[in-house]
Amino acid sequence: MSSSGGGSSSKPRSASFQPSETSSKRKRGVFQKELQHMMYGFGDDPNPLPESVALMEDIVVEYVTELVHKAQDIGSQRGKLSVEDFLYLIRKDLPKLNRCTELLSMNEELKQARKVFESDEDKLRKVFEVDEPVE
Amino acid sequence: MKQSKDPFEAAFEEQEDSPPESPADTAVDALQNPNSSIVAHNSQSQPQDQLQLPHDDNAKKGASQFTPLSGSGRTNASSSGPFTATTGAGGSGTGMKSKEEEEEEEEENMDVELGKFPSSGDPDKMAKMQAILSQFTEEQMSRYESFRRAGFQKSNMKRLLASITGTQKISVPMTIVVSGIAKMFVGEVVETARIVMQERKESGPIRPCHLREAYRRLKLEGKVFKRPMSRLFR
Repeated sequence: MSSSGGGSSSKPRSASFQPSETSSKRKRGVFQKELQHMMYGFGDDPNPLPESVALMEDIVVEYVTELVHKAQDIGSQRGKLSVEDFLYLIRKDLPKLNRCTELLSMNEELKQARKVFESDEDKLRKVFEVDEPVE
Repeated sequence: MKQSKDPFEAAFEEQEDSPPESPADTAVDALQNPNSSIVAHNSQSQPQDQLQLPHDDNAKKGASQFTPLSGSGRTNASSSGPFTATTGAGGSGTGMKSKEEEEEEEEENMDVELGKFPSSGDPDKMAKMQAILSQFTEEQMSRYESFRRAGFQKSNMKRLLASITGTQKISVPMTIVVSGIAKMFVGEVVETARIVMQERKESGPIRPCHLREAYRRLKLEGKVFKRPMSRLFR
């Protein structure tokens, strides 16, 4: 059954830009499961169409590819990619920028929390080790 | 990639470990040591206001657009769980079962989660959020839950980034940032596709033609990056 608009059976891979220097074979369905949940969360049907999910995956991969290439162009002076390149690229897009800063700061918080947790664990372990030889 | 963990499962396990909740990336592995200069603590209060709003809009949009469809949505989705095995092999079948288990347990977890909103957020905004959330219907709640919990897997994103950059070392914060950006981009495309569907007066699941039209519109608006060739006289 061919849908009305999507009569062409060929996926738009020919239209999307494929970097030739990387692996020419891209595995299909890498992000399928997560994309289904995500599309539902953003307003799609609880069961998104598989071709929609596949197309969305292609779009996302192309977007990320272009993003990374642009970041590389910017950060090439430094010699390696850094997070700041990405932040610079999305500076115009306020929601994304805020979201990224929030994610990064939460990452830091989690790291701090883990450090404290591990240092506590070490202290507990030392207390136990002191006790054992005495017995 | 033989067995990709269901993000809901991964999220559920992480919930027990780390109290503060990270919406997009729940699987935080052993972290390296990035530069602390990246983190912007100073402008935390201001962006929060702008930040909560897009999420609010998402939730509200989802609510307003789908109350008329909820009836048809229910009949389309089969009785058990949102994701039936329409796509491919039994992998999705087992994923659905665990998701069902999660759902019962997640209800309690959701209350815990919601209490852990960004601590430096506006108490006013948080109160508003709580008021809105308490009035959600079941379908809206599950959609909101999917919205918060869904995210790209770090390992997959890392592999993709490595293949694009040509096996450079990809730091963890970079995967976090790119996953966040990609998720928001998916949101933009899906929302624009829904707008397109409304204009064409169609309903039901989103079809590839809608996605393509949405992508084209985003390109016109300049939200999708274009390669900078001959930008001079465009």
